[in-house]
Amino acid sequence: MSLLSVENLAIHFGGIKAVDQVSFAVEAGEVFTIIGPNGAGKTTIFNLISRIYDPTEGRLIFDGVDFTTMPAHRIAGLGIARTFQNIELFEHATVLQNLLVGRQPHARVNLLSEILFLPSVRRAEIAHREKVEEIIDLLDLQAYREQMIANLPYGVRKVVEMARALCTEPKLLLLDEPSSGLNVEETQDMSYWIEDIKRRLGVTVLMVEHDMGLVSSVSDRVLALNYGRVLAQGSPEEVQRNPDVIKAYLGGEE
Amino acid sequence: MRFVFKTSYEQDINLFRHGGDRFWYGLLLLALAAAPLLLDTFYLGELSFILIYAIAATGLMLLVGYTGLVSLGHAAFLGIGAYANAYFISQGMPFLVSFPLAGLITAAAGLLIGVPTLRMSGIYLAIATLAFAYIVEQVFIRWESVTGGFRGLPVDAPDIFGYQLWERWEFYYLCLVVLVAVILGVANLLRSPTGRAFVAIRDSEISAQSMGINLARYKAMAFALSAFITGLAGALYGHHISYLAPDAFDIRLSIILLLMVVVGGVGSLHGAVYGAIFAGALPQVIAILRDYLPPAISQTPGLEPALFGVILVFFILFEPFGIYGRWLKIKLYFQMFPLYKKATFKRQKSYLKTERLR
Repeated sequence: MSLLSVENLAIHFGGIKAVDQVSFAVEAGEVFTIIGPNGAGKTTIFNLISRIYDPTEGRLIFDGVDFTTMPAHRIAGLGIARTFQNIELFEHATVLQNLLVGRQPHARVNLLSEILFLPSVRRAEIAHREKVEEIIDLLDLQAYREQMIANLPYGVRKVVEMARALCTEPKLLLLDEPSSGLNVEETQDMSYWIEDIKRRLGVTVLMVEHDMGLVSSVSDRVLALNYGRVLAQGSPEEVQRNPDVIKAYLGGEE
Repeated sequence: MRFVFKTSYEQDINLFRHGGDRFWYGLLLLALAAAPLLLDTFYLGELSFILIYAIAATGLMLLVGYTGLVSLGHAAFLGIGAYANAYFISQGMPFLVSFPLAGLITAAAGLLIGVPTLRMSGIYLAIATLAFAYIVEQVFIRWESVTGGFRGLPVDAPDIFGYQLWERWEFYYLCLVVLVAVILGVANLLRSPTGRAFVAIRDSEISAQSMGINLARYKAMAFALSAFITGLAGALYGHHISYLAPDAFDIRLSIILLLMVVVGGVGSLHGAVYGAIFAGALPQVIAILRDYLPPAISQTPGLEPALFGVILVFFILFEPFGIYGRWLKIKLYFQMFPLYKKATFKRQKSYLKTERLR
């Protein structure tokens, strides 16, 4: 059984069919990439999966659970974490505090014991911290631990956002354009991080990406979209050779 | 400059970062405990007033500074706490029961306003809370069987196990104990998952949600907690002024409360206390200054609100992080001397957030 299956997913904004009858399945342990020109509906699919938008039609199934109508805040507990195209970190907090928020799906909240800061809360905090430190070590963020997000360069923020998503211990990680705004070297690093996440943590990755170098180096399978419809699906080479895909990107004879 | 060498995760969890912190806060507490020996009754009363303000400001700070929700109606919560406590005491309930009960009733009122406004933010929330405060004020006026309406409601001195706190210094210690307990409780909450959830909601609702934070639940919780603390402050406020009238809890008080949070420094507990000192001590300072000013100025009516306004404008223009922000800068100046540079606190303009989903 697939880890995530998307069946006939569709969303209409007024008369615009942003996503139209899209189906695909992500297998456990793979890196699955969605590509497509601007406005193809890639980020919309992400927002549908993270339940920020309600689909007009279709079903979303994760690990055997139908989550098509689940509220957005329960998605993280299900095992799906995401990053955002334009970085949505908590700006006025340190890297460490940001990563600790990633532990929220695993936090047992009991207001009274928190106000008194009972030993059980302290123990839980230390356990969360240990988990966070594992991710810090994995992504080499030691030097930034105490820094405010507002003072960090863009490339580091991208990694911090990915780290925060990993702190939720997801089974599926959604990366929305992990390389946007990064230079060549940072993009190269990003491809190593994605490999590491897949190999060492065993996390399945679903990403939206424009950089074809990154796409072909890390992806197992690629899905090409245009105008909210599926153009092609297959290995990176197959999709890149597909005449419809070439036409969508470069134009062609009618 | 002090560098803390960290060897355990405990050091990031503890309230005090190092021995120096412990020493200075201990000294402050000692000085506050010794205040009744050093100050006369009048100034002790004013100091109790500042402590009460600090409790209310801490409650409001939790909502405005940490959860990012604005409230222009906190005077209503102060009023509900004051009236509830006074009413219960007039019915013969002991203070130790009526005081927490007043807080709980105010928390319920907080939920009453917090739940319908869950989807509001910024100016819309400010107006909704303002409207709520007006309604509550009308209730204070009309519900004469409980509040006494414009005739007012006298508040008896608090009694603890049958012992009545008539003396100023006794009441001062009561306020001090409540303030310390409230600050410790809030500080504990802020280093726990709930506090982090509040800050996450303040900085980015969308990613808070995708980190598994139930926005509705935590926003309602922030409102209830903030109202609870403000209600406790209200109960003490009632004892302090000892006679409740509805016009004591009007929009001006709400604005003073918000002003404390902004002038003190949004997003820090220190700021709440500094703001309370500012708002509580400024009228006294102005009163003292009056004697030294030429009569043309000192006899002008409205000198106090005017000065309040001018100071607020200056703070927003030149020091958006308030008194606490300025204190941090001064401290760093001396720590780094002579290497301090002005650009240290300059922030890079943030990146465009084009596709924000709000």
